[in-house]
Amino acid sequence: MTKKRAVILNTAIIFSFILVSLRLVDLMIFNHNRLAERAKQQHNKVEDVQARRGVIFDRNGRELALNLDLESLYGDPEMLDLKEGNIKKLALLINKEPKIIRTKVPESGRFFWIERKLEPETAEKIKGLEIEGLGFLTEAKRVYPKGVLASHVLGFVGIDNQALEGIELKFDKDLKTNGGKVVVGRDASGKILSSGVETETNGNSLVLTIDEGLQGILENELDKATIQWRAASATAIMMDPFTGEVLAIGNRPTYDPNKGTAASDSEKRNRAITDCYEPGSTFKIIIGVAALEEKIARAGTLFDVSKGSINAGGKNIGDVHKYGVLTFSEVIQKSSNVGSIMIGMKLGKERIYKYAKLMGIGEKTGIDLPGEISGWIYPPERWSGTSIGAIPIGQEVAVTPLQILRAYAAIANGGYLVKPHVVSEVLSPSGEVIASFRNPDSHRILSARTAETFRDILATVTEEGGTGQNASVDGNPVAGKTGTAQMINPVTKRYSKEKYVSSFVGFVPADNPRIAMIVVVYEPKGQIYGGVVAAPVFREIANQALSYMDIPRDDNAQRAHFVVAR
Amino acid sequence: MFKIDRRLINNFDWVTLTVTMLIALIGILTIYSATRPLEAEGHSSFFLKQGVWLILGLITLFFIVSFDYIWLSRFAMVFYVLGILLLMAVFLTGRVGMGAQRWLSIGPLSFQPSELFKLIYVIMLSHYLSLVKPPLDTLALFRTFFTIVFLPFILLIKQPDLGTGIIVIALFISLLFARGLQRKVAVLFIIIGLISLPFLGNIFWHGLKDYQKSRLVAFIEPEIDPTGIGYHLNQSKITVGSGKFFGKGYMQGTQGPFRFLPEKHTDFIFAVFAEEWGFFGSLILLLLYLILIVRGLDTVRKAKDDFGRLLALGITAMFFIYFFVNVGMTLGLMPVVGIPLPFMSYGGTALLSNMIAIGILINIRTRRFELFH
Repeated sequence: MTKKRAVILNTAIIFSFILVSLRLVDLMIFNHNRLAERAKQQHNKVEDVQARRGVIFDRNGRELALNLDLESLYGDPEMLDLKEGNIKKLALLINKEPKIIRTKVPESGRFFWIERKLEPETAEKIKGLEIEGLGFLTEAKRVYPKGVLASHVLGFVGIDNQALEGIELKFDKDLKTNGGKVVVGRDASGKILSSGVETETNGNSLVLTIDEGLQGILENELDKATIQWRAASATAIMMDPFTGEVLAIGNRPTYDPNKGTAASDSEKRNRAITDCYEPGSTFKIIIGVAALEEKIARAGTLFDVSKGSINAGGKNIGDVHKYGVLTFSEVIQKSSNVGSIMIGMKLGKERIYKYAKLMGIGEKTGIDLPGEISGWIYPPERWSGTSIGAIPIGQEVAVTPLQILRAYAAIANGGYLVKPHVVSEVLSPSGEVIASFRNPDSHRILSARTAETFRDILATVTEEGGTGQNASVDGNPVAGKTGTAQMINPVTKRYSKEKYVSSFVGFVPADNPRIAMIVVVYEPKGQIYGGVVAAPVFREIANQALSYMDIPRDDNAQRAHFVVAR
Repeated sequence: MFKIDRRLINNFDWVTLTVTMLIALIGILTIYSATRPLEAEGHSSFFLKQGVWLILGLITLFFIVSFDYIWLSRFAMVFYVLGILLLMAVFLTGRVGMGAQRWLSIGPLSFQPSELFKLIYVIMLSHYLSLVKPPLDTLALFRTFFTIVFLPFILLIKQPDLGTGIIVIALFISLLFARGLQRKVAVLFIIIGLISLPFLGNIFWHGLKDYQKSRLVAFIEPEIDPTGIGYHLNQSKITVGSGKFFGKGYMQGTQGPFRFLPEKHTDFIFAVFAEEWGFFGSLILLLLYLILIVRGLDTVRKAKDDFGRLLALGITAMFFIYFFVNVGMTLGLMPVVGIPLPFMSYGGTALLSNMIAIGILINIRTRRFELFH
């Protein structure tokens, strides 16, 4: 090799090294900031902080809603081999059409969900396929271990744990607490790498006033009644009359919140607060307490209902049976329409309206569940001529079952209007009480005397000669009232001849009430009367509830007393 | 044949061996860092395998040094035929990897014949050219091209191993340059080259696989589609650029382990190194390669015969081309052509054949005073 060529060669090599060095200066020093910034952008990702929803407990600390860690399957379109074999195997495991998987693949981006929250066995099987480009992320799935139990209270969440119904919705903020966004590291496939930043927070837990045991009893009996009477629907609420704590609340039809998104609107309706109906005879307590408060009548005041009917605004309203002369108590006990209207006429529409409002009719109770409606009662100026014959017996008004129950609770507790509620406490993840809703405001609406007098009157309803004898419980007196109302045909706007609402509302034990409860059965077949359809449901629930709650039988107590005395 | 006399030990080229081993060890460290797992799972065994190949290469290197390189000239033809057969075997039984058929499996081992072939090719070409009286005339030029260069070039392009294919041509030109062409042949060679460039370019373009075409496009316009064809290039630049003066520190690089940078432990290992060791670290690495190449050129000057001279130049040129193309690709000075960085990139066959090449270089330098047998 000649010297000249050696020089050329050496020059070329030196030049190359200088070129490379200059390029290094260019990239690593002059362009460092720009390129380093791009690197940062690539592996920093703003992530939503996943909030593990808090647990929902019943009043005794039993879990009604909790979280389960399940794996979700995602795909990376750049890595994923979309050949037919892979897709078919995958489709078989997740039980979907191969086509559906294909349609999920996005045009750009490196992440798409294939199937969320897989059963652990399915996830294992998919891992066994060893298909490249598939990945798993752990997600918390909301689980309602008791299935349909208390579904209308609990509500449910969607696939992204977004609250959709019930307590989940109403207390979403508490259950989620402060989720948010954090910056985390990720690799090229979008996989989140350990970042030292907590990407998960725990929501606050809720303690309900609901008692799982009572809830079970109530729902079980609702089921039986719905089947027995082939009812379109049914509702029952059990409440502590002194505090407004709802112990159990059930509706039929119902749904499983674990499959909440698949439930129909009818199944999801919490009829206890979202539906109104004409209360019928259970409404007669309004004119009853009004008469006592206004001193228009006393328990023994006599009403002559022997005509069997009464003319109100040109319309004749009759009683089911013909009675002679009834005391005020007996008007309620036997649910005499004629007697009630006579009392109503004595009161006048202003006072009826006033007491209805006072007792919470046509007002939301303010229960901490979503979707409550107020119902309605017309103000006196809008009453028609026949209203005075309708409203005292519970027509031309629309109430929710909870409203009626609350009115009865006021009699049970000595005259206070309570605030019904289902959540008693909010607990932090570490278990401290953050907020307590125990003993919310209640205010006196009736004198203690009126309440007591009326309590005694209601107790006679389940005794010999009353309409609600079927509600009487072994060993403890029940105070309550039956109700039977025709439903209004939504097409003809007239009272239906076949469709009735049967109800019974009351409390037990009558002299020292522990539970107040309403049972409403919509469209029972075969029988229509509240005393026949709803009262036995009340009895069955109350019987079991009282022994569940260890409430001593009055008769036993007396017997025990004798034993001691001897 | 195995005589190891004093002069052999006295003249032994420790500089080349030391620099080579330094680069290879830096390579293993970088492979370890580039393939480190992000989570608690076990570390991949790439660095270990590379270490085993390095030891194997070192043993082979000493074995090569122990007998006179003139034997290579005598067996050049045999090696060459074997090499061609290996390349052909790749077509028949080869394992497909990364869209190309480059591997050959023998039992549990799989190796890349093209990596071994490039060395055989340099030996053969040096042997052949050493027999031709310089400067070469037209006939000699064409005869050399068609007997030695053409067939392997086609075989490599078809694998497709574009990188090694181009290197085969580049080495041919380097050795022609070293041996010397008649002035008129050289001029004709250049003119023909310039005229046929558009035609060759056209044929070349259509012969390319889509991924090869897109790499060329990406080289010219890397920002066209940063997630698609420009991805390699952009990621490589981002990785290098993240380094700054002193780098992020060993095991602190992110782009490789986070899988943003593809081929992190093979073709783009320089980027991983640059990110962790910064501009100064990279300069030192460049310096090591420069020493290796300058030392190689010195060996060319000192070789005792034409075959030794050509062989030393061929090997040095090979290292230089590999280095420059690889680093140039990593830094965006050249299109992405998948060839490894000698001694650094993960790959057993490449490391082994490079160690053999170094052995040959040392052999030539060590025996520079010996007479012909």
